[in-house]
Amino acid sequence: MPGQISIRIDGEYVTAQVGQTILEVARANGKYIPTLCWLESITPVGACRLCIVEVSGVNRLLPACTTPVQDGMSVTTQSEKLQAYRKIALELLFSERNHICAVCVSNNHCELQGMAQKLGVNSIRYAYSFPKLSVDVSHERYVLDHNRCILCTRCVRVCAQVEGAHVWDVSSRGIHSLVVSDMAKPWGEAVNCTNCGKCVNSCPTGALAEKGFAVEEMVKRDGKVTRLAARRGGQQ
Amino acid sequence: MATMTGQTALSLEVQSFADKTIASHQGKPGALLGILESMQERNPHKYLSTEVLEYVADKTDLPLAQIYSVVTFYALFNLEPQGEHTISICRGTACHTRGSRNLLQRLRLELGLPDMGEEGADKVCVTTPDGKYSLRTVACFGQCALAPVVEVDHVIYGHMNEQTLKRELEHLGHGGKRA
Repeated sequence: MPGQISIRIDGEYVTAQVGQTILEVARANGKYIPTLCWLESITPVGACRLCIVEVSGVNRLLPACTTPVQDGMSVTTQSEKLQAYRKIALELLFSERNHICAVCVSNNHCELQGMAQKLGVNSIRYAYSFPKLSVDVSHERYVLDHNRCILCTRCVRVCAQVEGAHVWDVSSRGIHSLVVSDMAKPWGEAVNCTNCGKCVNSCPTGALAEKGFAVEEMVKRDGKVTRLAARRGGQQ
Repeated sequence: MATMTGQTALSLEVQSFADKTIASHQGKPGALLGILESMQERNPHKYLSTEVLEYVADKTDLPLAQIYSVVTFYALFNLEPQGEHTISICRGTACHTRGSRNLLQRLRLELGLPDMGEEGADKVCVTTPDGKYSLRTVACFGQCALAPVVEVDHVIYGHMNEQTLKRELEHLGHGGKRA
């Protein structure tokens, strides 16, 4: 078949198509690589660094979600080194904002929390920064709580690529980064927002949630968003 | 896309300048940066008002959020009116070891600007209420041999101390009203 190449994942030979990413090939062959910012059929950005893998011959770790496969590539998806770095990435995410699971609408349905359990992160080695961040309740149906945001930009990408509204974007830089709607106006005043809720359903944490839900009640349905994205032609 | 077309508080002059700038950047990749830079340069107070950003969004068909994201990412763009004179103090490592923190503190006191405390310790961009001076911190001018470095209205001054800084301020007309 044209464009078909052979790569090795964890010692196992698998076939892949040119243009596929390491993550896509791994998932297709039943190999698990942890992810947070990645969402099926949405353009990957490689922001969370949880999907890092080792590629032999490359002396740095590469994000599986944005690295295209090459013929003869040998990829390691699980190792002690990777485990350690993934834990660090996750711990830094936790230390950056005020993630207090016990009072969160997404408690027990949260991808960040689930990932911490999966990777065995139950304490943080770094000092929490406890930022004072606002909660935007101006939208009639949804809430944005910056304290729970991990800046994965899933909402930004879903809104721009699937809904085509591009209400969200990231303002400032570094530790001061914040997801904002329109010109940092309250969400309720965003002129382009169609109230579709795709951002809410694709948010991995409780940062974006529907109003009227109590602790543990907010279940996200990102499958709805990814199916729609796939039908619209996927990543490109 | 962003706002209702035709409803803007901008003067016709600014509008036509924006239209020309946008037209001259048409189809070029990364046009937004150039457009915003020209718009800011044209403004007498060297800043981008909400109206300008909304107008640019409307004419370029770019999402408001994306424009806001770009404007807040680059330190070059200002969302608030800037002072007549801009004084930038280097807070790079070399200047720090040569006492740039004291210069910053001195200048703050001299201009009557509030202390930002812990939060604003690393990055400062404030303007005096009378709109005469803007005080900024910069990561590095690349003139470390001249540390500590202060830039006054785009002119670099090296080996600054509190006396020479004060002299420069007086040069700009500061402190004349002191009785």
